[in-house]
Amino acid sequence: MQPAVFERVVVKNSPVYQYMKVSLVLEQAQTKLTAVELKHLITTGLKSLYGEVGAAFPFDLLTFEEDTLTAVLRVYSRGLVRLWSSITLLGFFQQQRCAFRVLQVSPYLLALTGNSRDLALDS
Amino acid sequence: MVRVKSRYLLCEIHVSDPSKLLLLEDRAITAAVKDAVTSAHGDYGAAQCSIGFSVKYVNAHTGILFLRCPKSSYRLIWSALPFITSVERKGRRISCFLSCLHVGGTIRTCQKFLIRYNTQQLHRMLPKCKTQEEKDQVRRAILSSSTYMLKGKEHKEERD
Repeated sequence: MQPAVFERVVVKNSPVYQYMKVSLVLEQAQTKLTAVELKHLITTGLKSLYGEVGAAFPFDLLTFEEDTLTAVLRVYSRGLVRLWSSITLLGFFQQQRCAFRVLQVSPYLLALTGNSRDLALDS
Repeated sequence: MVRVKSRYLLCEIHVSDPSKLLLLEDRAITAAVKDAVTSAHGDYGAAQCSIGFSVKYVNAHTGILFLRCPKSSYRLIWSALPFITSVERKGRRISCFLSCLHVGGTIRTCQKFLIRYNTQQLHRMLPKCKTQEEKDQVRRAILSSSTYMLKGKEHKEERD
């Protein structure tokens, strides 16, 4: 097997999409929710902060892990700020307090496979 | 010093029942516009709208409005205007819709546009007069208002 050749790729265009890895923290940790409920929650957050115009902006929920409540969102670059600010200001899910933690944001989906902050360097 | 820049929206209000036109008032219109901006653009839009937004002028007879908004956020207010379907005044709903005629940087340019627009409308409507009597009536009405202005000028000249 040939060793991987170092290759540098420079993309000069602005990226079409941005990918966000977010996790939902709930007050009662045993609460279960589905992907549909999560998307609905984010849409309500967008609607309360940016109204019907904001709620109409397209974004996708690519993956959702129900046990860790971690999701990967895909959004057009110009809607990133709006999506990010609305999920930051989301405080309630079905009358219980909740918070979104944005773990990683990147224009490349591949970058979300690993997180440099989770590396254990000493071992 | 830097001037605070704002945009002035010149709007025309169309009311289904013309007798209710005289009920219009600036505070009722402000509330209606704010509600529309809140539903279309949410809390963010409402906050943008709360700074520096005001209804400068309402003419209840002709249904002309001047709205003032900061230059940075006039698009939010402008885009929410078509969603206004009614104005509430003293518990009564006046169903109406707004159409934006002109967007200007100063009240002066808006006024200039309004005068030109009204002249245009007059030219369009005059040929529709069916009888000579109607035409004469309109002509007299225009003449009476213009002679009033002319008289005012003469008074000034006399004083000079």
